[in-house]
Amino acid sequence: MMSRAIVQVRDLHKSFTRGTEAIHVLRDLTLDVGEAEFLALMGPSGSGKTTLLNLIAGLDQPTAGTITVGENVISGMSESELARWRTRHVGFIFQFYYLLPVLTAYENVELPLLLLNLTKEQRRKQVENALGLVRLTDRMNHRPGQLSGGQQQRVGIARAMVTDPTLIVADEPTGDLDTRSADEILQLMEILRAQLGKTIIMVTHDPKAAARAQRILHLEKGQLVLDTAAAVS
Amino acid sequence: MYGMPPEMSGAGYDTSMLQLTGYLFAGLVVLILGAIALAVLTLPAFFVILYVSDKLVGVFATATGWFPLKVTVIMFRGLRRSMLRTSLTYLALFVLTLVLCLIYAVLYMIGNATSEKEANFKAIVTHKTTIPSQMPPGYYERFKRVCLEDLPPEMRPKNGDKDIMSWSFILGTTDKANPRKDNMVFLFALEPDKVLTMMDGLDELVGQEKELLEKACAAMKANPRAIVMSKSRLKSLNLRVGQTIKLHGMNYANLLFEFEIIGELPEGKYEGVSFMNKDYLIQQIDTFPTSPNNPKKGEQHPMADKCINLIWVRLPTKEAFETLSEKVNNRAEFGTVPIKLETASSGIGTWLGAFKDIFWGIKFILVPAMIGIMSLVVANALSISVRERRTEMAVLKVLGFAPRHVLLIVLGEALLVGFLGGGMSALMAWGLLGNVKFQIMFFGAFFVPMNALFYGPALGMAVSFAGCIGPAMAAKNVKVAEVFARVA
Repeated sequence: MMSRAIVQVRDLHKSFTRGTEAIHVLRDLTLDVGEAEFLALMGPSGSGKTTLLNLIAGLDQPTAGTITVGENVISGMSESELARWRTRHVGFIFQFYYLLPVLTAYENVELPLLLLNLTKEQRRKQVENALGLVRLTDRMNHRPGQLSGGQQQRVGIARAMVTDPTLIVADEPTGDLDTRSADEILQLMEILRAQLGKTIIMVTHDPKAAARAQRILHLEKGQLVLDTAAAVS
Repeated sequence: MYGMPPEMSGAGYDTSMLQLTGYLFAGLVVLILGAIALAVLTLPAFFVILYVSDKLVGVFATATGWFPLKVTVIMFRGLRRSMLRTSLTYLALFVLTLVLCLIYAVLYMIGNATSEKEANFKAIVTHKTTIPSQMPPGYYERFKRVCLEDLPPEMRPKNGDKDIMSWSFILGTTDKANPRKDNMVFLFALEPDKVLTMMDGLDELVGQEKELLEKACAAMKANPRAIVMSKSRLKSLNLRVGQTIKLHGMNYANLLFEFEIIGELPEGKYEGVSFMNKDYLIQQIDTFPTSPNNPKKGEQHPMADKCINLIWVRLPTKEAFETLSEKVNNRAEFGTVPIKLETASSGIGTWLGAFKDIFWGIKFILVPAMIGIMSLVVANALSISVRERRTEMAVLKVLGFAPRHVLLIVLGEALLVGFLGGGMSALMAWGLLGNVKFQIMFFGAFFVPMNALFYGPALGMAVSFAGCIGPAMAAKNVKVAEVFARVA
């Protein structure tokens, strides 16, 4: 049985217009994600899984329907409100890490904290904790170019969790990594869920990665076609 | 020079409008090439400043944890990301600011020269219609009498005769058979005891420079053959103080002058010219009929009745100027050669009138065009930078940075380059040209005003702002979902 729903998606619809043609990416999608749940979104390219992830993370606005994360109805928020909300409530993990190349690992992880009302000491402590969790304390003064792909993704994870967000979203987090690094990243995500109680929504094409989640949703043509518990949880 | 024959102008050029325009454009091209060379030379210093500033801001940002400082660190690091692009932006801003600083300096100098003073200002007497202005020597004495006796006492020059001075221009060569620019000497024939009070720029001298010139003027008064020469002319003639020089008159044909160089003019004042005692010129003209150099024995020199080029007078008020002007215009005794009285500034303004189209072009076409072109260069560099970093901007937004933060980061980077590029350029213009003084016509030493140190960075920042506001708005409005959709 699913714990209290932290993400509630109701009758979600998202469409784009290309020229005069309307493209319906998501259609009447309803979904709940429980607290401390690790959810994998799968589906063929163009099925709408990244669009769904972006909508849940407050990076885009739905055409219709509502999205509630925690106590916040984010589908009605302005861009600035969403920016403020994201800082506190969402952590992002990207396929290509997207670390700022001119900043050190420490500075990259510190970035989201700059927007919060924290003292320098509080920030330092949180950054060191986050980097400690991903076992990169000894690399905190290295720039992304001096780190391997796996290490960069670990910095990305540290940056995603440094603000202690409600929700962590990951878009193909292992897509650019070798098997060993990918495994390390997935293990870290499991730790985030199991030890820190984070809710994780991950988009992936990789069945092995998806198998690490507790629940797998399959999307096709903008609609949920299968909702299964993963084989391994 | 006002009232000076064209062949005697400092450079010896024919200043027809077409040629002058050509010279100006050629000068501009040389100036721009020089500015580019200077910009390239200063590029390492620019990056050192950028690096040191980045480190300093970084230290403060780490120590204080202050958000604006942290964002400033991101700006500094962003500038060091693409050295080539930052260099090109810097070069564009440096060249623009340097050229505009120099144009500003010229306009400032002209503005100073043509601005009217309210009291104790100088007026100038010239031929009414003819350029070059040439007047009989008797006019000087008559004009002095009108000033010192006919004017109401309160309108007369405060220092009497000391406030009235005449100038005669003499161009001579040391090699009569082969006169060239490098063997020519241009002299002002004047009254030595009025040099320090009536010559623009020399009345401001202090200390040793003033003392030396006072001594030289006293020596010129005592010895009519004594002259003082600018350092640059002494150097080009390979002469030193204490030596003698023989000059064959060029505009005063067949007059031979034998001078003793007794001093130097202060640096940056009346560059390239010399001062001689007017008495020596008069004496040479007076003795010319019996001179062995006179091809028409017994006849006076052709310049004898037109050897006064300009007369200067310092007047206490505008009313005095108007009254004197009326007297000069209506006096029958000035009837043979009609003359006019103008303020120095209006006189210069009249002379500059011939060039007004060029100045208009500089002010309203060249300067805006340069600002426009450089803004486009900056805008182009920045828009490439923003395009390349769209994903980064999107990531910042994902992390919670508001659109205004993204706008500020892009604007801040551009303003930093603008400030440093404009500042360094203005500093170079002010520092270099402040130390290498040279004179343009009768405007005194050319220099870049200290204001440029403020206007330079401000201009650099303004151009950067104009150039980057479009790219900055584009960065601000980056749609996160669209960016990641494209990347994916």
